[in-house]
Amino acid sequence: MFSYVLRRIGVGLGLVLLVLTLIFLALHLVPGDPAMLLLSQGDGASATPEAVARVRTQLGLDQPLLTQYWHFLSGALTGDLGESFRNRQPVSEAIGERLPRTLELVGLATLVAVVVGVPWGALAARAGGWFDSVTSVLTSIGIALPVFVFGSILILVFSLKLGALPAGGFAEWGEDPNRHAQILVLPAIALAVGFASTIARMTRSAVLEMLHQDWVRTARSMGLSRRAVFRRYVLRNSLNPVVTTVGIGVGTLLGSTVLVERVFNYPGLSSLLVEAVTARDYPVVQGIVITIAVLFVSINIIVDVLYGVLDPRVRR
Amino acid sequence: MRTTHPLRTRSAARPRLAAVTAVAVAAMTLTACSSGDGGSSASEESLRFGLSAEPVALTTGVWQGSATNFMLTLIHRGLMTLDDQGDLVPGLAESYEMTDDTTYVFTLHEGLTFSDGSPLTAENVKSSLEYYANPDSGSTLIGGLGDISDITVDSDTQVTITLEAPNNAFLEYLAVPTAAIVPEASLNAETPNEVGAGPFMIEDAQAGVGMTLAKFDGFYDADDVALEEIDLSYYADGDARANALVSGDVDMIDYVTWENFDRVGSTDGITLDATPGPFQYVQFNTTEGPFADPLVREAVAYAINRDNALTAAFQSNGEPLEGVVMPDDEALEGVGDELWSYDPDRAEELLAEAGYPDGFEATLLATSQYTFLQDTALSVQQDLQAVGIDITLDAPDWSGRLEKGAAGDYDLAVSGDVGIVTNPSYLLGFVTPPDNFNRSFGYENEEIAAALTEGLRATDDDSRRAAYEEAFDLFATDVPFASIDTRDQAWAYSDDVEGFTNLTGFHTFFSGYTLVNTSLNR
Repeated sequence: MFSYVLRRIGVGLGLVLLVLTLIFLALHLVPGDPAMLLLSQGDGASATPEAVARVRTQLGLDQPLLTQYWHFLSGALTGDLGESFRNRQPVSEAIGERLPRTLELVGLATLVAVVVGVPWGALAARAGGWFDSVTSVLTSIGIALPVFVFGSILILVFSLKLGALPAGGFAEWGEDPNRHAQILVLPAIALAVGFASTIARMTRSAVLEMLHQDWVRTARSMGLSRRAVFRRYVLRNSLNPVVTTVGIGVGTLLGSTVLVERVFNYPGLSSLLVEAVTARDYPVVQGIVITIAVLFVSINIIVDVLYGVLDPRVRR
Repeated sequence: MRTTHPLRTRSAARPRLAAVTAVAVAAMTLTACSSGDGGSSASEESLRFGLSAEPVALTTGVWQGSATNFMLTLIHRGLMTLDDQGDLVPGLAESYEMTDDTTYVFTLHEGLTFSDGSPLTAENVKSSLEYYANPDSGSTLIGGLGDISDITVDSDTQVTITLEAPNNAFLEYLAVPTAAIVPEASLNAETPNEVGAGPFMIEDAQAGVGMTLAKFDGFYDADDVALEEIDLSYYADGDARANALVSGDVDMIDYVTWENFDRVGSTDGITLDATPGPFQYVQFNTTEGPFADPLVREAVAYAINRDNALTAAFQSNGEPLEGVVMPDDEALEGVGDELWSYDPDRAEELLAEAGYPDGFEATLLATSQYTFLQDTALSVQQDLQAVGIDITLDAPDWSGRLEKGAAGDYDLAVSGDVGIVTNPSYLLGFVTPPDNFNRSFGYENEEIAAALTEGLRATDDDSRRAAYEEAFDLFATDVPFASIDTRDQAWAYSDDVEGFTNLTGFHTFFSGYTLVNTSLNR
């Protein structure tokens, strides 16, 4: 078991290093000059070539690519991710502020999705009939509907028409816990819908497959109640693919938060990433991508380990 | 044929877990709803403002966009400012006197201080203006302040500024937010320009979320400032911003996007305050290709259907522009406003005269990041196809647009701009080097520049008018750019907000100045 975990971590580290290098190259090779962008923020004035050159030097962009890469790599390994080109805030500080907000959102959405999706899918498999058909239709809609469409609908109904919840924004938990909670509700639901639908379908297929197994029929014929068989033999074995789905889904959810944070004006990590890419704020983009890569790789390691716990055959 | 599996029951088993979850979510939502109206609490003296972008680190003297300029109108002041009618009035100066065509004597208010308590004297005026007049500082005020030949400190509260030549835009440049008088310590490119002598000061800032500004009691006009606090929140998305206002989360927003004009304007209790401001135009690569020929450029100016472009990009919230944007000045009535018109036949004639009777191919540069520019480009593309110019659209993101624009990597491009000042001298940047992404690449016209400068230096209305008439006669046939339209810039606020004015024309982005006259009446 221990060597299994160690192997997974080793592969993970290699992946993160690869991502680090790729994002650095991608940013520096894509057209767009951060210095020019900083000075040409909008209508009304254009920077002189001298001013642009001065800012490039200030930001370290006039140095050879390899030097910049080494600077970046050594910084990343010691935890120094540099400063934002735009507001000079240390990148690690910005990430430290905004990552928990996105994780909160993702965590809540995942919780809702799992709590709703797993029983729903299991029930659809067990019950069959009209319930199963309705489930099929609803989950199809849930998966097909884009998060920002659903998010906009939620805003329209609950904020603009009913005035029940805020349309967006943010309040710190410490300052205004009430408003903090209110603000999370709609975006979490928007995120959870597609995820819950996917989980429900996955659970349903997995459970259905299990129900057909010989050993399930054997257990039943040995006198165990339907519910006991379901709980002990069917559900636990079904959970393998479901856990994998949840793991990958959380990673995908991090991507969906980009749209949700935009629609709800939620100051999380994803909205910072979009802003930083648009503004070619290299340090911020690099820092966030590394963070997400590390998170994603970690989640997948956990999933693999869980898989090993659930199914001893995998460990060998 | 379906067989019933032994473990599938026909009757739906009670979905206990699902039911519990549903109840829990509902309970959470209901408790959240039951407390308050869903909006952040509104106070009597704190204006909740939804701002369209997060201001970047404030660099002294440098123009950094409308959100940053808005900040500057709140925390800084210059010698001159704009009142709620958009008129140029003294600011930090209590009064000024022009002792001759090139000499201005400013008398400051007594006892001025910055928000950190340090005194503001004539020495600060001298050091700030000299910094802005120096090309090395990267300041974009050179056009107006570059004429300064001498600044003499007469006393703590009096300063005499002498210009090399008369400049009738000089005072207007002193009212530009980036021309604020700042402490010595801020006169470099690194120190954030946060300490000022404006009506408000930064109390608290949360990166990515918002900023709280408190009233500065040492402001020279503090007694007349009604607002105690301005609570800024950043709403980068236009729809989210409009939603915040409509749902009551904020009292006021800037930059209402054109798709939201109808919705915001028709909501009870909300005022949409719109005015024509920036202008859109086609710029050219004049170093090579067909557009090096003024006849071809003129053809484009006649080919554009300005009404269509207005509808396509701004839902008609704007005005067609057949000339250039001129200040509201009686003496210049009728000058510069009708240089071209929509006349495709004339456009084809000009193309034939230039040697392109069958048209030609060209690339039109726009940007996908600002839909209004992209939509304008699509409309222009149609117009040019109609006269035989076969257009390929190139629409990178803003960053790509900047690079290509600066390098001249285009045949024509669609742009939007606003003058730093309403004085026609704002046009000088379009006809004199250096190149930049927002002007025709490689274009230079000394005659137009000379005429515009003559207008700038004129000391009487008649010679001023004559100079500009000459400038625009040349403009019409040499076409430094082909105007398309002006667009409406709108602020919007709840009926609780009184006293705010959206200043007309290019000054719309400086409307933050009128927040000193604004009060909340809940």
